[in-house]
Amino acid sequence: MASKPGRIVVMWGHLLLLAVIAAVVIYYWMDTRAASMRTVNLLLVQPASIFALFLVLALVPQCFRRVGPDEEEGEKETIGDLARVFTLMAAFIAFALSMQYVGFDVATFSFMVVGLRLCGERNWFLNLGFSAAFTALLIWGYGAIIPFPFPLTVL
Amino acid sequence: MIDMNSLAGAVALLTSSFEAWLWLIPGLMIGLFFGAMPGISITMAMAIFLPMTLYMEFLPAIIFLTAIYTAAGFGGSVPAVLMNIPGTTSAVATTFDGYPMARSGRHNEALGVALAASVFGTLVSYALLMFLIAPVSRVVLRLGPLELFAVAVWGMLLIGSLASKSMLRGLLAGVFGVLLGTVGFSSAGFIRGTMDIPWLFDGVPVIPAMMGLLAASQLLGLINTKYLISDEASRSISFRKIISGMRMSFKQPFIIGRGAMIGVLVGSIPGVGSSISNLLSYAETKRNAPDSDTFGTGNPKGVIAAESANSSSEGGAMATMLALGIPGGGATAILLAAFAMNNIVGGPSFIANQMDIVYAIIFANFAQAVLLLIVGLGFVYIAGYVVRVPLRFLIPSVLVVAAFGSYAIEGSAAGPITLVVFSVLGWAMVRYQYPVAATVVGLLLGRMLENELARTFQIGRQSIEGIFNYALTRPGALTIFALMLVSIGASAYAKHRRRKKGKTILAEEE
Repeated sequence: MASKPGRIVVMWGHLLLLAVIAAVVIYYWMDTRAASMRTVNLLLVQPASIFALFLVLALVPQCFRRVGPDEEEGEKETIGDLARVFTLMAAFIAFALSMQYVGFDVATFSFMVVGLRLCGERNWFLNLGFSAAFTALLIWGYGAIIPFPFPLTVL
Repeated sequence: MIDMNSLAGAVALLTSSFEAWLWLIPGLMIGLFFGAMPGISITMAMAIFLPMTLYMEFLPAIIFLTAIYTAAGFGGSVPAVLMNIPGTTSAVATTFDGYPMARSGRHNEALGVALAASVFGTLVSYALLMFLIAPVSRVVLRLGPLELFAVAVWGMLLIGSLASKSMLRGLLAGVFGVLLGTVGFSSAGFIRGTMDIPWLFDGVPVIPAMMGLLAASQLLGLINTKYLISDEASRSISFRKIISGMRMSFKQPFIIGRGAMIGVLVGSIPGVGSSISNLLSYAETKRNAPDSDTFGTGNPKGVIAAESANSSSEGGAMATMLALGIPGGGATAILLAAFAMNNIVGGPSFIANQMDIVYAIIFANFAQAVLLLIVGLGFVYIAGYVVRVPLRFLIPSVLVVAAFGSYAIEGSAAGPITLVVFSVLGWAMVRYQYPVAATVVGLLLGRMLENELARTFQIGRQSIEGIFNYALTRPGALTIFALMLVSIGASAYAKHRRRKKGKTILAEEE
């Protein structure tokens, strides 16, 4: 029996996503069972978890794709493009986690400067000016509306 | 069905006070502005301005607050269309087709469609309310857990219609959302999946999670794009196109009518309201549309269905509030508070004795809806300029606004942390073609599904057989399940016929 031409490409990102989903589902299912084995507690969570894990298993083969010899492999996205997305993601995570500690004003201004630069703004004067103005406007605007205070350091 | 004496009383009441009408336009503008700001809910906008009404007469106060309510409902659709951010849970389904329309350069039309569908949804719902206020309130009183479970299952069916490419991926996204939606304290008193994080005891914060899944995930993926709309010529802001979008809505009276009917009925159920009605209306429209394949890629019918239902939910929620004195959500609770400040208590006696005030509120809402068409037109024209802002400015700005909005909702870092976690998850899901909207629907309905199922289980003497026996005594729930089956059957038949027709045409061509 002749094998099909081409080679198999593993979509590691997809596999990682499925692994994360499966890990969260298993943790939640086990935690629910640990909380109580009564039917009323497991009524929805247990069948839904089993179904979700079944779906994960059914989707695993889709993480492997056969690429023909003439076919172009993967997406057009470069490693640089992906690196920029991950850097922005990391900056966003740092921003959200640091807001309460360094102050909303400092965190917002810093994220804006980094975000604008990552998104392609090369003019530093424009970057710093826009970031400062936007931060001040946002702090003032949301501060006037929201009934509880923001932790601030400079403004 | 209509009490003519009370009707005349309502007209006299509305024409007696010119001051009341002066508050209409400021109310609409406040509602539009606050509704369009992510994280500022309708409830928050109304709560901020409630103290102002202490110094007003009853009628101006109610007109002012209901104007904020009406306009904020539509305001939420503006960021939903332009940035994929559903500012409120009621604008989730608007993003499904509104945002793809905007990305393909039809932002003017999408905003016009949303505005007209909202206005007509409101008008139809209040027209229905005039006739149905008494019967609707009687129905609401009879709803039990099984009926609410049936409504939630109906909402979940939407997941099937969202899973466009791969049914397996759609189902996994939906089930994962349902599971995440049940994290925290269950109605039976068990704490699950909180990882000992105190703020997860109340469950995953839904709005920050929704903003992360739908908006932030998209923005992270757009980092290598220059503008929201790549074609420069399509970035124009045009009144003509907004009006043509409005005309598209006029051409779909059946979708608006169905959306309004779903909106009124589902909106009248306390605690359910507009967050489900827009999803149900979208699902039903997609299921019955001949061009259902194009839903999710920028079909204006999707926007019409969602907007007509979420705006008409306001009418349903008002029916429950006026007739039973039960606030269906935060906004109607604030209206009840405004009533209380004027020594008026909603409920059956209110309907029986002060029908003129009820009619006056309904008429005032007609006027609000018509004025919203004009004020909203100016608003969407200005808001449309978002598409001209380069993405290098828009991406970090919107991410920061979303973080502030999520902080505003939760009042703690729980909001921003949830936002980033779901942004990363959403980005990965979008990358591998999982419909994030299905996860959002699951998140919204998970808790309700579990609560109502648990209640039904308890009523059914804690056995599966008991649930079936209980179901036989609930004709309302059986009717909803039967309607669901009929609707699924009809759409399957329509699909079969379309396929058959397609094959015949192909055979004839050969």
